[in-house]
Amino acid sequence: MQRKFGFGSEPLIEISALTKQFGSVQALSDVNLRVMPGEVYGLLGPNGAGKTTTIKTILGLLEPTSGWIKVVGLDPAKNPIEVKSKIGYVAENPIVYDSLSTRDFLEFVASIRKTEKASTNELVAQLASAFDMAQYFDSPIATLSLGMKQKVALIASLIHQPAVLLLDEPLNGLDAKSSRIVKELVGFHAEKGGAVLFSTHIMEVAQQVCTRIGIIYQGKVIAEGTLDELRGKTEGSGGTLEEVFLKLTHEESEVADTMRMLREAFFKNEAK
Amino acid sequence: MKLSEAWRLSKTCYREMVYRSLAEERGRMWWGAFGRNRQGKESQDDLELTNRALRIAKFDKAVVAFFNVVVSLAPFASLFLGSPGFGLTSAISLSLAVTFGFTALYAIQTLSSFMSPESSALMSTMPLNRDEFSLITLFSFIRSFDYMVIGSIISQVMLVAYLTASPVATLIMFAASTVNALFAVAVALWFSRIFQRNMLRGGRSKANTVLRLLFILMWGLLLVAVGFLFSIPWYIVPNLQSTLLSAAHLWNSLLDLLYPFSTGIVITASVSNVTFTTLLVASAAMVGYAFLAVFAGKWSLGMVRAVSQGVGVNITRVTAKDFSVNPRGPLLGYVAKDLKVASRNPATAFFFALPVLETVIIILLDSNMGTLRTALVLSGTSLGAIFALLLPLALLSAEGKGLEYTKTLPISSRRIVVPKALVSTATFVPVPIALATLSLFKPLTSPASLFIPFLIVLPVASASIFEIKLFLRTAAKGKIASVLNDAEKLTVGVVVILIPEVAYAVGFLATFNHAFSLLAMSAVAFAEFAVAFFVLRRS
Repeated sequence: MQRKFGFGSEPLIEISALTKQFGSVQALSDVNLRVMPGEVYGLLGPNGAGKTTTIKTILGLLEPTSGWIKVVGLDPAKNPIEVKSKIGYVAENPIVYDSLSTRDFLEFVASIRKTEKASTNELVAQLASAFDMAQYFDSPIATLSLGMKQKVALIASLIHQPAVLLLDEPLNGLDAKSSRIVKELVGFHAEKGGAVLFSTHIMEVAQQVCTRIGIIYQGKVIAEGTLDELRGKTEGSGGTLEEVFLKLTHEESEVADTMRMLREAFFKNEAK
Repeated sequence: MKLSEAWRLSKTCYREMVYRSLAEERGRMWWGAFGRNRQGKESQDDLELTNRALRIAKFDKAVVAFFNVVVSLAPFASLFLGSPGFGLTSAISLSLAVTFGFTALYAIQTLSSFMSPESSALMSTMPLNRDEFSLITLFSFIRSFDYMVIGSIISQVMLVAYLTASPVATLIMFAASTVNALFAVAVALWFSRIFQRNMLRGGRSKANTVLRLLFILMWGLLLVAVGFLFSIPWYIVPNLQSTLLSAAHLWNSLLDLLYPFSTGIVITASVSNVTFTTLLVASAAMVGYAFLAVFAGKWSLGMVRAVSQGVGVNITRVTAKDFSVNPRGPLLGYVAKDLKVASRNPATAFFFALPVLETVIIILLDSNMGTLRTALVLSGTSLGAIFALLLPLALLSAEGKGLEYTKTLPISSRRIVVPKALVSTATFVPVPIALATLSLFKPLTSPASLFIPFLIVLPVASASIFEIKLFLRTAAKGKIASVLNDAEKLTVGVVVILIPEVAYAVGFLATFNHAFSLLAMSAVAFAEFAVAFFVLRRS
C-alpha cells in the first residue's frame, strides 16, 4: 500500500531522557522512547504511572523538567503550533465545548486547523456514518453520552489527517462496534505511514492494537518491545500480556496477597 | 426527614455547585499558561482555589444581601424625608417590587451552575426518598441566595413593625415578604427552564437558527426588563399612592388587585383609614397571591426535583440530513464559536442584549431634550462603551472547560484575543448608529459631536484587548485573583474609554472649539489603539 506521509525511517516521536517533576512528585523519570512511521506504540501502565503526563508533554501542554522531545523532527517547546498541527489528540476524558453541536464543534476544529472543505467533508461524512452519528450530529454535545462524546473527539482528532495520533484511553465509553472501528482506524493510520501512541491500561486492547508496547511504571519505562519480546524478558510467565505486565511490575505477588486479604474480609462479614 | 437535617445536608450539594462553577472557571485560569502549564503548581492551587472560591461565594452573597437590604429599605426613607405623595402603601409596594426584581435576577445568574443533574449526582445515589431528595436539592439552590432573602424579609418586617407598631401589619408583611421571595425563585426557575429548553433543542434548520437568535434577544430583553424593576417603580409607584387608596373608579380597583400594590394597601389599612371597597379588593387579591405562592412553591419544588434528576428538559433529536461542515479559517471560526458558546449560556447570553439596552438607555436619556447636546452624546457613548466592556470577560468565562481542548489546537493566544475583542467591539456598534439616527430628528449643538461615538469604537477595541491581555498576564503569574476578581480589568478598560473623552473635554475647555476637541480626542484614541496593536503583536 502506498504510504501517504512518506517520512522514511526517521522517528515521528522521539523522547530522550525525559523527566517531569510536579513539586516533590517525580511523575516521569528518564523516559526514552521512539515511535517510527507505521508503528502503533502502546503505552501500557497502571493508573498514575505517567501515561497521560507523557502524552501531554509530547503535545507541548506540559514543559519537561529535563530531557527532550521531537515530534516529526520538531521540538514542542520551541514550535508548539507547528507540532500541534501535526498531531491528532484524544484525551482520556473527552473535554469539548458542551454547548456546541457536533457539527459546530467539528466546524470550529476544521476552521482552526485550516482544513480544505471538500476533503474535510468527505472524511467527516465517512466517520460520522461509521459511528452512527446522524441523530446526534446537530444535538448539543452536553446532551450526548460519554461514548458519543468520545466519538466526536475521535472525529475531531482525525479531521486534519495528522501524521501523529496521540490517543489517551480512546476506547473509554465506546460500544463494541465503535471500539472495533477505532482499532481498525488506528491500523489504517499506521498503514499510511503515520505514527500512533496508544495509551491504555487494558491489556487485551494493547495486545490487539499495538505493534510495540512500552510498559510504564512509576514514571519509568521498565520494558519495551513486541509481545513476544516482552514474554522473553519474563521467565516462566504465561502467554497473556496481563501476566507479563504483572511480572514486570513485580505486582504479581502483591495482587495475590491483596486478593487473599479481600476474600477473607468479604466472607468474614457475610459469616456474621 | 427534619427540615434542619435537610438544610444541613444541602450544604454538600451547595459546595458542589460552587466547585462546579469554579471548575468551569478553571479554563480561564489556564489561559495564562496557554499551550503549557505547570501542573504541579496547578494541583496545589486547586485546593487553594476551591477554598478561596467558597470564601468569595460567601462574601459575594453577603455583599449582594447587603445591597438587597439597602434597596428594600430605600423606599421607606422617603417617608422619613417627607416626599410629597409618597406613603406607606407605595413604600411597601416599591420595596417588594425591587426585592423581587433583584432576587430573581441574582437567582437567574446563579442557576446556570445549578441546572445540571451532575450537581446533585452524589446525593441521588443515597438512600433518600423523592421528597427528601427534592427538599435537599431545593435547599442547596436556596443557599445561593439565602442571605439576601432572609436579609430583605427581616429588614422589611422590622421596618413595618417600627412604622406601624401593629402586630397584624407586621405579620402581614412577613407573609408578603415570604410570598415575594417564593415568586422570585419561581420566576428565576421558569426563565432558566425556558432557556435550557430552547438551547438544548437539536436541529440546524434556518427556522431553528432564527428562533434561537430571537430567543436570545428575548432572553436579554426579559432580563433587562427584570433589571428595570429597580428603576421604573421609583417613577411610577409614588404617583399611584393617592390613586391606589381611592375607590373612585374601576381603574383604581383594578390597580388594587395588582401585585404588590394589594399588599401595601392591606398593611396600610391596618393603621389608617382605607375605603372598604379598596380594602376588600386588595385583601381578596392578597389571599389569591398567597394561594399562587403556594402553587409557585410546589411548582418550584417539582422543577428542582426534575432538574436534579435530569428530566427537567426534553431533548429533541433531529436526524442530520448531511454531515457537511464549513471551515471558515481561524479568525472567523473562533468568532463563530465564541458567539455560539456565549449565547447558549444563560449567564452570558444576557450580554448580547447589551446593544439593545445601550440604545434604549441613550434614547431614554435623550427623550426630554430639545437638542442633542455634546455632553449627552459623551455620557451616552461612555455608558454604552462601559457596558460593552463586560463582554470580553464574559467571553473568557464562557470558554470554560472547553479551553482545555483549544489548547491542543495549533492556535496562538493572539489568535484568540482578536476574535474576542472583535465580538466585544461589535456589540458597541449599535450605539453610534443609534445616536446618528437620533441626530436626524434632533439638532446637534455641534456637528463634530456626531463623530464622538464612532471614534470611541477604537478605544472600545483597545480596552477589550487590554482587558484580555491583563487577564493573561496575571493568570500567567498564577494569580488566583485573576480568575475570581474582574474589577481591576474593568477599571483599566473604563480608564481607556474615558481618556479620549477627557481629552475632548479638556480640549473644549481650553479652546471652546468642537473641531479642535475632536482632533485631540482622535489623536488619543488612535494612540491608544496603536499601543493595543503593539501589545497584541508582541504576544
